[in-house]
Amino acid sequence: MRTALRQPTALFAVVVVTVVVVVAIAAPLIAPYAPEAKDFTAPLSGPTAAHPLGTDDLGGDLLSQLIHAARTALLVAVGSVVVAMLIGVPLGLVLGYRGGWYDRIGSRGLDIADALPGLMIGFVVIAILGQGMAVLILAIGLVFCMNFARLTRAITLTERNKGYVESARVSGLNAPRILFSQVLPNLAGPLVVQAAVFLGSAIKVEAALSFLGLGLGDEQPSWGGMLGFATQHTADHPEMALAPGIAICVTVLAFSLLGDTINDTLSGSRMRRTKILGRVLLDGDGARSGSADAALPPASAGTDDGPVGPDTGSVEDSAGEPVLAVRHADIVADRPDGGVVRLVHDASLTVRRGEILGLLGESGSGKSMLAKAILGLLPAGVRLAGGAITLNGTELTDRSPAQLAALRGTGMGVVFQNPQANLSPVHTVGRQLTDVVRAHDATISKEAARSRAADLLDLVGVDDPERRLDQYPYQFSGGMAQRVAIAVALVGEPDLLILDEATSALDVTTQAQVLDLVLDLRDRLGMAVVNITHDLGVAAETCDRVTVLLRGEVVETGDVHTVFDHPRHEYTARLIAAHPGVDDDAPGLGTHDQRKVEHA
Amino acid sequence: MGKLIAYRLLFAVPQLLVIAVVVFSLTYLVPGSPAAAMLGAAATPESIAQVEAQMGLDRPAPERFAEWIGGLLTGDLGTSFRSGVPVAELLARHVPATLSVVAGGMLVALVLGVGAGVWTGTRPGTPGDRVVTGGTVLGLAVPEFWLGLLLTTLFAVQLGWVPIVAWTPLTDDPLGWARGIALPSITLGVTGGAMIARQTRAAVVASLAAPYTDTLTAAGVPRATIVARYGVKNALVPVLASAGVTLAILIGVSFVVEKVFSLPGLGSIMLSSVIAQDFPVVQGVVMVTAVLVIAVNLVLDICYGLINPQARPQ
Repeated sequence: MRTALRQPTALFAVVVVTVVVVVAIAAPLIAPYAPEAKDFTAPLSGPTAAHPLGTDDLGGDLLSQLIHAARTALLVAVGSVVVAMLIGVPLGLVLGYRGGWYDRIGSRGLDIADALPGLMIGFVVIAILGQGMAVLILAIGLVFCMNFARLTRAITLTERNKGYVESARVSGLNAPRILFSQVLPNLAGPLVVQAAVFLGSAIKVEAALSFLGLGLGDEQPSWGGMLGFATQHTADHPEMALAPGIAICVTVLAFSLLGDTINDTLSGSRMRRTKILGRVLLDGDGARSGSADAALPPASAGTDDGPVGPDTGSVEDSAGEPVLAVRHADIVADRPDGGVVRLVHDASLTVRRGEILGLLGESGSGKSMLAKAILGLLPAGVRLAGGAITLNGTELTDRSPAQLAALRGTGMGVVFQNPQANLSPVHTVGRQLTDVVRAHDATISKEAARSRAADLLDLVGVDDPERRLDQYPYQFSGGMAQRVAIAVALVGEPDLLILDEATSALDVTTQAQVLDLVLDLRDRLGMAVVNITHDLGVAAETCDRVTVLLRGEVVETGDVHTVFDHPRHEYTARLIAAHPGVDDDAPGLGTHDQRKVEHA
Repeated sequence: MGKLIAYRLLFAVPQLLVIAVVVFSLTYLVPGSPAAAMLGAAATPESIAQVEAQMGLDRPAPERFAEWIGGLLTGDLGTSFRSGVPVAELLARHVPATLSVVAGGMLVALVLGVGAGVWTGTRPGTPGDRVVTGGTVLGLAVPEFWLGLLLTTLFAVQLGWVPIVAWTPLTDDPLGWARGIALPSITLGVTGGAMIARQTRAAVVASLAAPYTDTLTAAGVPRATIVARYGVKNALVPVLASAGVTLAILIGVSFVVEKVFSLPGLGSIMLSSVIAQDFPVVQGVVMVTAVLVIAVNLVLDICYGLINPQARPQ
């Protein structure tokens, strides 16, 4: 909370809410006049020394009314939010916890209620029960109870299926006990946030109803009622509308910002955890590079001990010229407090034409960040802090975004992990392919672009391409969608194809088919391929060389057979030992045997 | 597509029926009798019984409900307790003003909201984004009727750019109609626009961070094309999904804003009928509003189906 208060908006929220609460409680002490006092000598006085905000048509002091109205606003808002929670939370708990028919009927009921504006419910309640404080609170409470029911239902639904509720149920706790002792505590945070926001909304609704004359009587001052009065004097006293309106605005704004502040504070623990993680990353780096020095020559001295030699960039023959060379890349994430977290440190790798390089490492080792850095697609807040990346001898790191854009697509293509997410869900496959085709050739005709798209689908092994072009990604299986994503990547005939865990989400058979396709395309098109994976079996089957990343640092690079048979780094050895079947003599036999073990 | 429309129409029927049952039962929730409430202090048991018989309140509820539903289907919504005018006639007289400002408000809201949402969503974290997003927070906090009051004071009363008593029927004078609904539409549009802008911004940010954006960027599609074609269309999916709720809120808000602009809409008859406990009129306004929201939702759902292929029944 203290850190949250450093935010100006949070400070504003807390200060305003405190002021409004104090004014509401101490209204009789602060207000210069009683709310019902009339100064008959000065009706509609306009701002004067005695009446800073002026008077109404009977000489009532508007400043005093404004102050007393804060009381009305808070009382009605707190009351109605309590009513809304008392109705909405139990309803949501029952719907979410019981599920089945209860939920189906209840949720339909909530949907039906959506057909009516919330204010309408307020009107109807007042029509039935007449006017008054209790009715007003009930009316506004009913307006907001649906929102609490919906929120509670959604959270209960997710909590219900979690392990702890399951185990509580198995251990014999009955439903109400589980709901109140297990589920409700998890609901508390979101409910408090929601309550703060709705306190503001309730003040707005109260103001609207009072403005219409449906709120409390004239003897009870309210901001809305004051504005209702001001509408009659837009010509002679337009200033009357200012103070009550600003009061409503600032109060509503403060409550909604208070909700945000509470939300940030509650999720603050999550942020702290990330920070600690960042520190572990840094510390881990330091500790590890110490031990690595003992086991290995330092990375800068040339970790690339692959068949062609260290990554000096020396050209032995034209076929061996590196398509991609990354040298001493440092990737850092900027922390909000000004510090940096090192994600990748001093990483070097090279890939040559027709070669498949495996980039190995566990999740969080920085391999995907390295790929994004190569593509120039690092997320906001993450940047390349040092090192060089060259594509076909062209330096990429000092390119302007426009130049980089021109290099993308013709130079590089990429396929990510989730087959469905790789393609826009609301565009046909044909649309996406032709958009890419036209991005490379602005003058191409519509028909020619479409036929090129069909050819590409054919190339990646999608049957019946003409018909498939008009389908949406969800109509494709995972393997087929990944083939389409490869087709998108191939439009510009790239020299380098990056597969970022591209086969990890697929089942074993489909994975093998897609990998075969990649090998085949490599042979036919002579591309260089970087295959990022955590799966040693995949690496063993497809890669010529591998680079192993550990906590953002390259620990080993070399020919796939050499690395798998004689790992030089202790981490690589442990990684291989953890994958039975890969450390056998023939790496090529790895995948399927190993999968059986994993699935057994 | 035909299937989707059929499904949605099918769901609208039970939805309307449930609302009709609830609306009908409202009169039974009144403590005491509506007749007593109507007659006020002058009520005697005899006069109450007489009025109840006149209103049909002495007959069994199922019989009255059947009669009421039958009336609804033939456009007979009963007569106002207070004025004796048929409710259908009252509604017909007051619907045009409400429809005009709600349609105008929704148009302003969509233009402002989608515009601001796309603009901020493509540059998250920049000073421009902070200013505009801060503006939407303010837009949600401002009471609509106060904004309307400020606008009318400035532009109608002080500057005289638009008439103070705003309403002119479209059929009488299209230009006058447009001038009349301009300020109310802007008033409603600010609230609706703030809601839509926040949804659009979040959706655009999510869309531009999605893997397909990286896939297309890496494949060489220019960013402008990605934003205009892929970002916006993907962002419209969640925006359209909640546009129905936005519209329902705007209708409610229009009932309040009407008073500021002296518009002869549904809000004005609702207000007087709520105070007078004139239930046939209250019921009529609730029903016509529900039909309006459900009908617009139907259209929105069809648009949603056009944009999102997965929403179409297979």
